This record gives sequence, C-alpha cells and structure tokens, in this order.
Amino acid sequence: MKKHYGKFLVTAGTAAAILAGCGGGNDDGSVTLELFSNKSESIDTYQALIDQFEEENPDINVELEAPPEAETVLRTRLTKNDMPDILSIGGNATYGEFAREGVLRDLSDTDLLSQVQSSYVDMLGQLAGPDTEGSFGVPYATNANHVIYNKAKVEELGIEIPKTWDEFIAALETAKEAGEVPLYLTLQEAWTGMAIWNGVAGNIVPEDFAEMKNNGEASFVEDYDEVAEKMLQLLEYGHSDNFGIGYGDGNSAFANGEGVFYIQGNWAIPEIREANPDVELGTFALPSSNNPEENNLVSGVDVALAISESTEHPEEAEKFLSFMLEQEVAEQYMNEQSAFSAVEGVYQEDEVFDGIREYFENDRLTSFQDHYYPAGMGVENLVLDMLINGNKTEGLEVIDSEWEAAQNR
Amino acid sequence: MKRDHAFLLMVIPAFVLFFIFHTYPALQGVFYSFTNFKGYGNWDFTGFTNYFKVFQDSRALGAYGFTFQFAIVSTILVNIISVLIAMGLNAKIKFRKTLRATYFLPFILSVLIVSYIFQFIFTHMVPDLGQALGIEALSKNILGDQDLAWIGIVIVAVWQSVAFNTLLYLAGLSTVDEQLYEAADIDGAKAWSKFWRITFPLIAPFFTINMVVAMKNFLMAFDQIIALTGGGPGRATESISLLIYRGGFEAGQFAYQSANAVIYFIVIVVISVVQLRILERKEVK
Repeated sequence: MKKHYGKFLVTAGTAAAILAGCGGGNDDGSVTLELFSNKSESIDTYQALIDQFEEENPDINVELEAPPEAETVLRTRLTKNDMPDILSIGGNATYGEFAREGVLRDLSDTDLLSQVQSSYVDMLGQLAGPDTEGSFGVPYATNANHVIYNKAKVEELGIEIPKTWDEFIAALETAKEAGEVPLYLTLQEAWTGMAIWNGVAGNIVPEDFAEMKNNGEASFVEDYDEVAEKMLQLLEYGHSDNFGIGYGDGNSAFANGEGVFYIQGNWAIPEIREANPDVELGTFALPSSNNPEENNLVSGVDVALAISESTEHPEEAEKFLSFMLEQEVAEQYMNEQSAFSAVEGVYQEDEVFDGIREYFENDRLTSFQDHYYPAGMGVENLVLDMLINGNKTEGLEVIDSEWEAAQNR
Repeated sequence: MKRDHAFLLMVIPAFVLFFIFHTYPALQGVFYSFTNFKGYGNWDFTGFTNYFKVFQDSRALGAYGFTFQFAIVSTILVNIISVLIAMGLNAKIKFRKTLRATYFLPFILSVLIVSYIFQFIFTHMVPDLGQALGIEALSKNILGDQDLAWIGIVIVAVWQSVAFNTLLYLAGLSTVDEQLYEAADIDGAKAWSKFWRITFPLIAPFFTINMVVAMKNFLMAFDQIIALTGGGPGRATESISLLIYRGGFEAGQFAYQSANAVIYFIVIVVISVVQLRILERKEVK
C-alpha cells in the first residue's frame, strides 16, 4: 500500500513538472493544451485529428494523453489539482461525480451544445444529478449495447432475428440443438457480465431506479428480480467454461466461428473484425421484454468532451471542441471507431449496424443502468458472484446492502 | 569528528529521500484516514468513523479472510520447498552452479509478466491438456472457479518466491560445518535425524527471517492478483492491497481506504513481531 502512495507522488510530481514546463503559454505566444482521453482504442484517430487541428491553428499545440487505467490516473491528478485542459471521458458515474464537484467548466453559454442531439445532453445531465445546474460535457460519440450475431450461422440455422424474449430463448434453443454454442460468454472478466445486465435491465427496470433507490422507494431485490432470473436463464446457453474465458479470448473465439450470439457493445466489433476480417456480423437490440414495443436499445455516451474548470486557456480549448464537432471531423472519428455520433447530421453507416439503426432514428433509446450506480460499489463483481452461485435473492440482497455501504463511505 | 560527518553524509540523502517519498506520504495517509477526503475537493474531520466502518464492511472482512488464507498457505509451501531445493543445491551434485542459477531465474522476472504467462497457461494450456487426457478437474480454467482461483494465485506466488527464499537458505546451509555431519555419521545417525537435529537448528535464524519476510510479502500481494484474476471471480480473490487500491483510487474512498490501510499496517506489524518473538525463542542461542 505504501508503495502506491510513493508511486502516486512520483507520478503526480512528474506530471506537475511537465505541465509547469509546457503549460501557461510559451514564449512565442503559442499555447499548449493537454487532451486527456480514457480510450486507448482511439489514440491513432485522435492523433490524426490533432495534426489536422494544429495545421489549421498553428499557435495551438495539443498534447494527447491516453494512459492505461485512465480513470484512476485522472482521479490521482485531481487529488493534486492538476487537471488536463480538455477531457475526453466516458459518460459514467465518474463523469457525474466530476460534474457535481465543480471540476468541469460550464458549457451552457457556448454554442457547442446546440450541435449535438439533446437526448444525450440530457443523459449527461442526469448523471450529474438533479441538484447540479449547468451542462459540463458535450456528448460526442455514443455507444450501443446489443446482441452481435454471426450472420452465416444464423442463416444456416434458419433463425429469424428475435423481437421478444421468448423468441430469443427459442433461437438459443435452436442453436443448442444444432450443437452450436448458442451464446458466447466471457465472464472471466466481470465487466462483460454488465453488458448482459444492462441489456436486460434497460427495458425492465424503471429508468430512474437510482434516484428511487436512494430515496428508499426501490430495491434490487424487488426491481431486479426479473433481470437476475433472465441472466441466470442465459447461463444455460453458454459454453463449457463460462467463467474461465475473458474478453480478448472471447472476441477471437467468436470471430472464428464459436458461438452464434454474443452480447457486447459496439466497441467489440472492431476487435472481432481484427481477429477475423472475413467474419460477417449483424446486430440487434437485446429483446429483454416480451412486448416488442417495450424493447429499446441500451445506449450511452461513450465519449463526452469537457473542459476543466482550472484551465488557463478556455478559449483555445473551446476552439478544439468546435473543431471536433465539425461534420467531416466527426464522420472520420465515428467511422474509424465504429461509434455512433451524438453530433447532429453525422450517422454511422456501417452495415453491421443495420439492425439497430432504426432505434437511433426513432429515438428508441434507454440508458445503461449501471452508469447511475455509486462509483465505488464494484457491482460487476457482485453480479458475477450471483451468477456463479445461482442464488438470485441472496445475491440481490448483497447488491442492495453494498449500494448503501458505498453511499455512506 | 570528521569521520562522523562522513558517515552522516552517507546516511542523510537516503534518509531524506525515504522521508519524502515514503514516511511523509504514509503520515499523510494516516492524517486523511481521520477525514472524509474523497481524493479531491473539500473535506472535514470525522474522527474514528472510518475505522468503525471498516470493521462492519463485509467486503473488507472478505478480503482479510482471503489474504490470510493465501498468505499462510503460501508461506508454509514456500519455506518447505525452498529448504528442500536449497539442500539439493547444497549437496555435491553435477551442474550445481548452473542449477543454482536456473532456480534463481524466477526472481529476476517481473511478477506481472510471470503472472500473465501463467494466466495464459491456466486459461489455454491446462484445460487443453485436461480435455485431451479426459481429466474433468483440469478441463476448466481454475481461475474462473471461485473455490479454486486462489490455488492458481498460490501456485504463481510460490513459484516465484521460492527463488529468493532458496537463496537465503543456501546462505544458511553454507554456514553449517561439514564435520558435524561426519561426526553424526560415525554415531550412526539417519538422514532425518541429521536434518532435524543438526541442519535445522543451525539454519533456524534463516528460517525465522524467511518466514517473516515471506509472510509479509504475501500479505501485501497485489501484482499477481491483478494479472491473474483481477480479484475475481466475483470478489473471491480480492486481497487487501487490491481493495485499498480499488476503493481508494477508483472509487473516491481515499480517506476510508486510508483507514483500512492504517489498520492493515498495524496488523502486519503485530504479526511480524509475534512471528519474530516465537521463532527466535526456538533458535539455538
């Protein structure tokens, strides 16, 4: 433990030294901005866009910082009041915390927010909570939590894309009888279980569950009973070692023809294609309810752009954000990242997403439930625990009590 | 007087560095453990509240349970295996030097890299082998099983730590006078009683230090667990260091986990002192 304090001080110290060296305007009048990104997948894309931006604005220098364990790094830097100028981070509980704590700059008065879809602006607003006034992030790229399927196998088995839960189970049953692995599970990494949890819960649990839970009006035992039940049901359609295979291995196994269905987000698609460029994939929203009209697509803000409150160059930082929102720039980002766009007028055209496009067009979207959970409860491990032990009620009771414990720590 | 200055000059830089990068942050941690500091922003003093909460925290208690189980089993295994290897390497065998170097290799490899390699072995090679041989117990990844994952971690931790402990035991064995064994042979002593009556008492100080160091290292296990299981499945292999890191840096519980760390620091000190007392009493003076 002491080791970590040491490391952390050194890291913070180095970071401070670097910032002191290059921040605060250089002698020749040029300005250096630090862009902090939490996605290692987008480093190349960002680097190319930054080069373009710097060419257009020769007096602004943008340094990209995309470390592993980015959220942890960001928190430790926050401890030292050493925030990067521009943040490119996920729209999750950590974002909400930053917005509440006044770490981010209020962008309400800029024209940035008018260029993006308002439903995602609202989603970020919900993360910050009802007591926080202002808009602190520009939703940029969004994601989708869906079922990915192997087109060749689905056609071979004669499966129609399911619209209800019963149809989905029937499809899994058909695959099982044909001797295929119906659903490829990668539960060695607990977070992959949350793709299923969020997918199922998105259409079953009330969207303001977190607020109700904090007011004592809702609980996991009551409201997530059906979610847990359905997740346990899905376990029956996995492979022989559901808890022994991780995300990376799962992506390559699925790419190479193991498994008919795979519940993951759009971020997995570039990885699967990298493992086997010839694989033909399709997607559909996980139909967790038996009423097809209730089945919406779970989608969240994958990348929100924000400016730190303490930056010395707010104008230049805003300039960079406007640049990112330009149609051509946004198109390039979305294509390279297989992401969906929150920017008005920019669409994801990849045919793998044909099956879910209508959800975006008709605004049939619902959010990731776990983005509203308290950051510290480690819910993915609790869910995994429940899946391994198959003890639905007991597992949900633990999640309930851990929520309360995390709230008063 | 001049010599004193020279010695001071040698000691002071190390002391200053140690104080700045080790003692001072540790004291800061103790200070924050009495607050509700999240890692940033404003904070207030909350007295001993954090400490009371740790004792009621089922996650922390679970982590203590796992860490002690892991540390005790690993410490015992490491010491048994190291003594055996050290005695083998101390005997007059062929390729003694090459073998010594080979057995020391694991120590110079990075814990993280070794752990990732073992993770690959547990995920792919062992199950493939198990399936090929038709052995049910081996055909799944043990890291994916809540009851077995800790064994995987013990295997990696022991494999790596044996190297250093063997080295210490070898140093111990080289201090034992050969004539004692010759005398024992003349008296007709069997191999077991030679070990138990002569070798072991003479290397007892090394046994003490090995037990204390191994136990302390295993109680602070972190790298192996991050690489092998990330604390899972569920929370089955979450060690205390991992919990402190996760909660403190990833979940905004800086003050709370500082309190946990202070408690754990006291626990480790107490255990080390008790171990030293008990084991030293048994040493031959």
